[in-house]
Amino acid sequence: MASFVRLSSICHRGVKPLFTRSSFLPRELLACRALREKDSMQVQVHASSHSAASAKAASMHWTGERLLSVVLLGMVPAAYLYPGPAVDYTVAAALTLHGHWGIGQVLTDYVHGETKIKLANAGLYTLSMVTFAGLCYFNYKDVGICKAIAMLWSI
Amino acid sequence: MALLLRSIARPGLYVSRCQFGVLYRHAVPMGTTAKEEMNKFWVKNNRLNRPMSPHLTIYRWSIPMVMSITFRGTGVGLSGGISLFAVAALVLPGNYPYYLDLIHSLAFGPQFLAFTKFALAFPVAYHTCNGIRHLMWDTGKGFKIPEVYRSGYVVCAVSVLTSIAMACL
Repeated sequence: MASFVRLSSICHRGVKPLFTRSSFLPRELLACRALREKDSMQVQVHASSHSAASAKAASMHWTGERLLSVVLLGMVPAAYLYPGPAVDYTVAAALTLHGHWGIGQVLTDYVHGETKIKLANAGLYTLSMVTFAGLCYFNYKDVGICKAIAMLWSI
Repeated sequence: MALLLRSIARPGLYVSRCQFGVLYRHAVPMGTTAKEEMNKFWVKNNRLNRPMSPHLTIYRWSIPMVMSITFRGTGVGLSGGISLFAVAALVLPGNYPYYLDLIHSLAFGPQFLAFTKFALAFPVAYHTCNGIRHLMWDTGKGFKIPEVYRSGYVVCAVSVLTSIAMACL
């Protein structure tokens, strides 16, 4: 539910309100009110030294993810109309990064506990590096991604 | 809940500009971040061996739910497939045309080939179409429940039709 609040702030008022409004998530607000009742004039708030910067980084990551998705969408007609090394390498990069960020979100959702998170992310980085290396090698030494799909389809 | 949120958030929006304004005159910052709090929650859960409340087994499945997890499933599957292909390109001897000739020499029937093409194209088509649906949601459009269902049906139909078209190529 809080995610819907954030979405509408992005759409109508830009990205800034995201972290100025963070203290008004319902849970924290109710917790603040409860604390206020108990401890007459004190209110506890979440505040870390880098919360504004990390919120900005998270917001930029989100935007980057959507932009990359649009780029990848554009690659579909590009690969069909202009097959060649330029599209091959662009697809390799865009596909690997899109997959890396996507699996990153899956890990964030399901993996908990500090060490497990670190291990999972390290594994993901390794996999993505190997994937990108493999795709670039395929583009360089072998037929390339666009030609490969065309050849596969005409078996 | 929504009413509470709206009544609080609207006046709050103007106050939020000065972080420690009137509402937070006596604000005391907590020592931990939200991330640390979440971690503490999970550590405590594991320590006390708390059982998890039933969720997937009791909640009624709906089209949006199924489409959402299928979206994630196709994403993970496609990503795995691409990584597998990349590793194979690095590790296996011989080049791509060699392996294609190998498959060609197995002389599969045309129906089997068409079915395989459909099976390869469908995850890509579904993930792409639902991805577009997600991007539309990211612009703020199409959240009303009837709209969610309608766009869901369109995505399913377009995915299947596109995959069939690809299989016929």
